[in-house]
Amino acid sequence: MHELGLAMDIHRTCREAVAPHGPGRLEWVKVAIGELTAVEPELLAFAWQAVTQDGPDAGARLEVEWRAARQCCPGCGGTVERPRGTWLYQCPTCERVLAVEGGDELEVLSVGFVPSGEGAGDG
Amino acid sequence: MGDTVDVRQRILAANEAAAAELRRSFQAQGTLVVNLISSPGSGKTTLLERTVERLAPGLRLAAVEGDIATERDAERLRRMGIPARQILTGGACHLDARQVQTALAEAAFPPVDVLFIENVGNLICPTSYDLGEDFKVALLSVTEGADKPFKYPAIFARAEVAVITKADLLPHVDFDLEAVRAQVAILRPGGEFFVTSSRTGEGIEAWCALLERRLEAKRA
Repeated sequence: MHELGLAMDIHRTCREAVAPHGPGRLEWVKVAIGELTAVEPELLAFAWQAVTQDGPDAGARLEVEWRAARQCCPGCGGTVERPRGTWLYQCPTCERVLAVEGGDELEVLSVGFVPSGEGAGDG
Repeated sequence: MGDTVDVRQRILAANEAAAAELRRSFQAQGTLVVNLISSPGSGKTTLLERTVERLAPGLRLAAVEGDIATERDAERLRRMGIPARQILTGGACHLDARQVQTALAEAAFPPVDVLFIENVGNLICPTSYDLGEDFKVALLSVTEGADKPFKYPAIFARAEVAVITKADLLPHVDFDLEAVRAQVAILRPGGEFFVTSSRTGEGIEAWCALLERRLEAKRA
């Protein structure tokens, strides 16, 4: 369950990024998660909620952009489509062994930040 | 409405910074560092015991052992005559670079040629955490399923070396070695692949020769 540690790192990263903008709260966070990072988006969302629920960022949305690893053919140059969670042994067109690219993304892309004083009813 | 703040930062940046510091320090000391990752019970510590028998005292070895509880693994390696430091994670499923920094500072090992970091038994969580190692090793015992590389692609894609353990049991289990070899080759083209048995000694020589080669290359 390393998602809890990751959620804490995401929160710290976001807070550092918005620090120059003064006080306020996070409204949403967009992260990129690659297929080869062994991170489960649903568990990450649950951990995010747990990490933020007692602070000023309670209720901030975590949006996950899922990045699939690509199996590319070094022979014909094509990227071969495959269902999530499955792997292909060889290129269906030319039968070459496929190479794996990408899928290791683990990044905070951007955050929505509401400075204090904006938005009626803010605490 | 709020403002959109562009961040574009790696989530594990803090861990990666600590890992980079470790890597610089290992480089300065000429220490080869190996991060061993597998399910619980795949034979990480036993492989290390055979490795110590083969390489020590010619090479100065040390180990950092990650476990949720007990000093048992570190004690096993100390009995083999090498310094070993136990990290008790108290439930956490992986080691991170800051824990390794603290453990090494506290352990104050004498100069070391090869440092083994035995991660918490887990094929999933340790995958994302760089510990400043030269390479990761994924171990897979023949009593586990032959579909494991495709089921846990992250670790087999990131481990430069795959080691099959308990090969002496092959006649007794349905384990398609060639299927595993093919899966690993797809996830990690050009990776090293060893078939070992800590009981019979099969493959231990080749595994140790890899460590010697990599140490020499690092110091060249």
